[in-house]
Amino acid sequence: MSNKKQDTSFEQCMKCTVCTVYCPVVAVNPAYPGPKQAGPDGERYRLKNPLFYDEALDLCLNCKRCEVACPSNVKIGDIIQNARLAYGTHKPKLRDYILANTDIMGTLATSMAPVVNFTLGLKPVKAVMDGVLEVDHHRTFPKYAGQKFETWFKRYALKKQEAYDRKVSYFHGCYANYNYPKLAKDLVKIMNAVGYGVNLLEKEKCCGVALISNGFKDQALKQAELNLGSIRKAVARGEQVLTTSSTCTFTMRDEYEHILGLENSDVRENINLATKFIFEAVDSGQIKLVFKKDYTKRIAYHTPCHMEKLGWAIYSTSLVRMIPGVDFLMLDSQCCGIAGTYGFKKEHYNDSQKIGEGLFRQIADSNVDMVATDCETCKWQIEMSTGVQVENPISIIADALDVEETIKANTK
Amino acid sequence: MKEYDVIIVGGGITGAGTARDCAMRGLKTLIIERFDFTAGATGRNHGLLHSGARYAVTDQESAEECIRENMILRKIARHCVEETDGMFITLPEDDLGFQSTFIDSCLKAGIRAEAIDPKEAIRLEPSVNKTLIGAVRVPDGAVDPFRLTIANVYDARLHGAEVLTYHEVTSILKEGDAVVGVEVVDHHTKEKKSIRSRLVINAGGIWGHHIASLAGATVNMFPAKGALLIFGHRVNNMVINRCRKPADADILVPGDTICLIGTTSSRLPYDQIDDMKVTPDEVDILLREGAKLAPELAQTRILRAYAGVRPLVAADNDPSGRSISRGIVCLDHETRDGIPGFITITGGKLMTYRLMAEWATDLACRKLGVDKKCQTAEICLPGSEESEKKSEKTVRTGLGAKAAQGRHGTRSVNITRNDKRDESLVCECEGVSVAEVNYAIEELNAKNIINLRRRTRLGMGTCQGELCACRAAGLLAKSNGCARRSIEDLASFMNERWKGMFPVAWGDTLAEAQFTSWIYEGVCGLDAFEQKEG
Amino acid sequence: MKFDTIIIGGGLCGLTAGIELSRKGQKCLIVSSGQSALHFFSGSFELCSSAEDPFQAMESLGKGHPYSKIGLENVRSLSSKVKPFFKEVGISMKGIKDANHWRITPLGVLKRAWLTMDEYATVPPEGRMPWKKVALLNVDGFLDFHTSYIAAGLAEQGVETVIKSISMPELDHLRNNPTEMRSTNISKALTGDAIGVLAARINEHAKDVDAVFMPAVVGLTGCSDVVRLKEKVDRPLNFIATLPPSVPGIRMQLMLKRHFQKLGGTYMLGDSVTGGEFKDGKLVSIKTQNHGDVNFCADNFILATGSFFSKGLSSDIDGVTEPVFGLDVDSIEERSQWYKRNMFEAQPYMNIGIATDNDFKVSRNGVTIDNLYAAGAVLGGFNALKEGSGAGVSILSALHVSSLILKD
Repeated sequence: MSNKKQDTSFEQCMKCTVCTVYCPVVAVNPAYPGPKQAGPDGERYRLKNPLFYDEALDLCLNCKRCEVACPSNVKIGDIIQNARLAYGTHKPKLRDYILANTDIMGTLATSMAPVVNFTLGLKPVKAVMDGVLEVDHHRTFPKYAGQKFETWFKRYALKKQEAYDRKVSYFHGCYANYNYPKLAKDLVKIMNAVGYGVNLLEKEKCCGVALISNGFKDQALKQAELNLGSIRKAVARGEQVLTTSSTCTFTMRDEYEHILGLENSDVRENINLATKFIFEAVDSGQIKLVFKKDYTKRIAYHTPCHMEKLGWAIYSTSLVRMIPGVDFLMLDSQCCGIAGTYGFKKEHYNDSQKIGEGLFRQIADSNVDMVATDCETCKWQIEMSTGVQVENPISIIADALDVEETIKANTK
Repeated sequence: MKEYDVIIVGGGITGAGTARDCAMRGLKTLIIERFDFTAGATGRNHGLLHSGARYAVTDQESAEECIRENMILRKIARHCVEETDGMFITLPEDDLGFQSTFIDSCLKAGIRAEAIDPKEAIRLEPSVNKTLIGAVRVPDGAVDPFRLTIANVYDARLHGAEVLTYHEVTSILKEGDAVVGVEVVDHHTKEKKSIRSRLVINAGGIWGHHIASLAGATVNMFPAKGALLIFGHRVNNMVINRCRKPADADILVPGDTICLIGTTSSRLPYDQIDDMKVTPDEVDILLREGAKLAPELAQTRILRAYAGVRPLVAADNDPSGRSISRGIVCLDHETRDGIPGFITITGGKLMTYRLMAEWATDLACRKLGVDKKCQTAEICLPGSEESEKKSEKTVRTGLGAKAAQGRHGTRSVNITRNDKRDESLVCECEGVSVAEVNYAIEELNAKNIINLRRRTRLGMGTCQGELCACRAAGLLAKSNGCARRSIEDLASFMNERWKGMFPVAWGDTLAEAQFTSWIYEGVCGLDAFEQKEG
Repeated sequence: MKFDTIIIGGGLCGLTAGIELSRKGQKCLIVSSGQSALHFFSGSFELCSSAEDPFQAMESLGKGHPYSKIGLENVRSLSSKVKPFFKEVGISMKGIKDANHWRITPLGVLKRAWLTMDEYATVPPEGRMPWKKVALLNVDGFLDFHTSYIAAGLAEQGVETVIKSISMPELDHLRNNPTEMRSTNISKALTGDAIGVLAARINEHAKDVDAVFMPAVVGLTGCSDVVRLKEKVDRPLNFIATLPPSVPGIRMQLMLKRHFQKLGGTYMLGDSVTGGEFKDGKLVSIKTQNHGDVNFCADNFILATGSFFSKGLSSDIDGVTEPVFGLDVDSIEERSQWYKRNMFEAQPYMNIGIATDNDFKVSRNGVTIDNLYAAGAVLGGFNALKEGSGAGVSILSALHVSSLILKD
């Protein structure tokens, strides 16, 4: 805490309790004190005596919906996360370590993906995971790809990027690297089509969101510093750093400063979701997208919690709505219940599913072909719980894009 | 007609302490208070557990009294005291040379005083003004005057004393020159009644001036007004004072969840003691000077402003009031004025209440021919009893239970929680549960919301009653069976909160006040229940 | 990004304007920093409550009052649009245009109201109670609703009450949390199958009564639970407002927002405007916290940011300012004059608001901004509490400003 200014936004709390209305946890789990009590109310008491810290704050999803709802600008979510890191005494479990270290798991798993995918899917393995590691047996670990995106990129795409004058950097994150390289490839496809080359960062590590939420602050700090270093180099080259995950984006832009106490204001505005970058470029006439004539789909958009906090759903949805054949539906913004590694934990499984119920019902009733969302863990949760296919807006754009016509439209 | 050995007039800390002492020495005791306990000066001060350091240079006697009582309160009133320690800081505009005089005087009075490096001071208390050039650490602390008074009354009752609140003394009964009791009016029923006793002890604080005159005695008291500001959270964890001659707004005390700065000091006409207003000028002084102690105060939300009144007692030979006695004044009106059966105990301060009570009770015992030693310095107050190590470790979970444990000490085990409904929080800012409210109603003589506030901190938090007052009124209605009276009580409570808020109503406090009005007047229509003053 | 009109503030006023403009084909953006004061809604709109006829009550209002600026004739014609407007959104309100009725407050007193959500208990303008005996129900352990208050109020009006408390297994889990037995959490539990169980419980207690009264704790996200419950309960079912948060108010907020989005509007929640670019007496574009360098451009802007609570006005020890653009404020110089010592007197600070001309155009440093209008609680010159005019000013000024924008 030493390098951070004491956050006194809790003083602005009017005790209006609007935050508790929008907390997804409090409605399903009475053990959680609720954001008002856990945040501003509790903070006054913790300042009096740290003994007033309540371990039940671990139940917070860190969805920040309380902050979005607060009419008084209280940083409720930050207050709770900071209290957890400052006063929490729960030791993280081995399971938490495994879940939080997406990089290590990813590196190990991708190198032997078929075996891992097969093994993680086996009933006895799931039973061990459930019983020993307390990872809920309903969960299937996201499949690992046979080849990491980074490997593919270096082998097949790196060379081609030299042909472009304009460049962006890409922070792919763990998911696009290990589990779903198609998303990353889709981004390269779109950017190349509109005349941008893509660079990878010199080095990147997991953004650290899972480390923060599982209490591994020191390791999160190390990874954050490494990422910021690479981002600074990219920005110095004049490149925007694009991402395809709302959570990574949010973590690097906001949590690095508010939770880890790192100075990131010099590059914060250069860390952008790809959909935001592309939309702005289209909106200002710098690039053009041409879509296939025969692409027709009914698509609903789900706003991930951290996307809601970023306030950027407008970019992703505007982009999807540009596709002429899309029949678009905006879902009410609510938490799907997974919250990163939270829903994987056995003790949270039931809450997780209960939180998402409303959303799942809305999707089931909406009769859509596909759900679009900017977060990978929301994707797993919604696919598992509804059976409806979920894609990142970037993948949807890539699929609907008439690449040749787009290239033509963007070359004068 | 029942006759008491002693009637104590005044439910401040002095009266409460005297009632306890009298009852412990076996006297048949009645304490009478015209409103509620702590409604006067007791509930309107710093809540500072003085080490005596503040008086060391100017008044050794007071300093010595303070440090002795300080050590006693730490023992007998553990649950009312926070052992925070304090520091006297020297700022660049102050004379650093004063520091050594100060330390010498402290040590002479028996007060531990140790000069510390400014860097160490900042480490100990990060909120302190970082430009300080010197600091002295002393055993100051915080004491909750509400808790302390209620614990004294509670113990007095446990020792057989009886209690009348909302009863005002309208005249002193006399037979010949001798005082033989009082006539009181019940503020609720407007009924008058006479109560007889062998002795009447006037512990009315500044109002004791009037009580004495009812008995035909003259005690010249001069009201000194002191204004304070309460901030929304604990900015500091140690008491911060200025190391210089006592002046305006130079003490910042942490108390429970808040901290407070004070005081200004000004003389006040006697006819205004029941209607004190904090002026914008006083607010400005407090803020300006407070920010010198801890700069963060300038950005901290102010919950309310209030003023207390201290009785300055003129020496008997000087009715002008220029020569003021700062110490304890215990008057035997039999020898002084030829009025047997009447004693006045006044002067002094919160810190020395126990000693004042001891003096008054010693005198009473002498007059009544009772030969019992004072034990109030040894026997702990209810809530502060030495407990088995084991039971102390059983800290309950949940804000409500933890906060109640802080407020009621060992007696918090008597707060019964029959089921989950009792755990529900009424006041969320201060963590006051249904169970604690019911305990205060049943055990601590709480009859209205203001009483509840003084016994539990209900409505003292950030929102100043916006959330909890209506819930508390509902629980009171359940207990007294009268909804209308509870809603009227709610209206006066909210109005009382507003009177402390408006002098500092800007920023978040103004927004909160507007919100509160929307809810209570707009949604609820509370204005229909307004009780006209007077 | 380019819009026809950008509205700052997404409460009752902002959403009314947003819907009205979107209905007429405008492309609108609403920026809202946090949820609105609708979360504390009483269930009723007040237009002007100091007399039975709201329009008669308005005649005594001063020149600077928002209604006077709209013009009383105009107020009359705009007010006839309000009920159909909300009907279209999906919210049925009862009440007649030129006679205030009464609502029953959480403290059991009657207070004048102009339009009230259908499900709430109301008493006709002449004040005669339509019931002889009612069942008064509360949810067991719910501290923000007090049947004894309402019973006392009804008794004074000659209505007999039977008080009962309802327990249901669906609500038991909430009791395990000391702070969350609240209206909105109760409403989250009282949905789906629980409605049938609740109706059965209510019917047990409502055998020989004229009506059933209960706290407004059903129907957080839509009307269907309320409709289903009313169908299943044998006696007429009436709601009474609870202490906040207000379940029907949140539903209204949600339905207004959905309707606005359905009409093509963009609603950005949890974002605040950091400033704007002014050029030739006009506001050209704004920037927001979440969107950094992005310029949101529009032909017209509406400031519907609310009063002190909603941060539309901000105050410090020196005075009152408008925090978004630093607009001119009609304030009171001396801080000591902002207040009356009695909380229940008309508090002068309530009348502080943004300075506007007669067309609700704001000014900065004395210069009128030609395309920036203020509407709702951020306006000065009125006391919503004392006049009973809060919702009326919000809705009518929104409709009026929208019509001015559309006229351009």
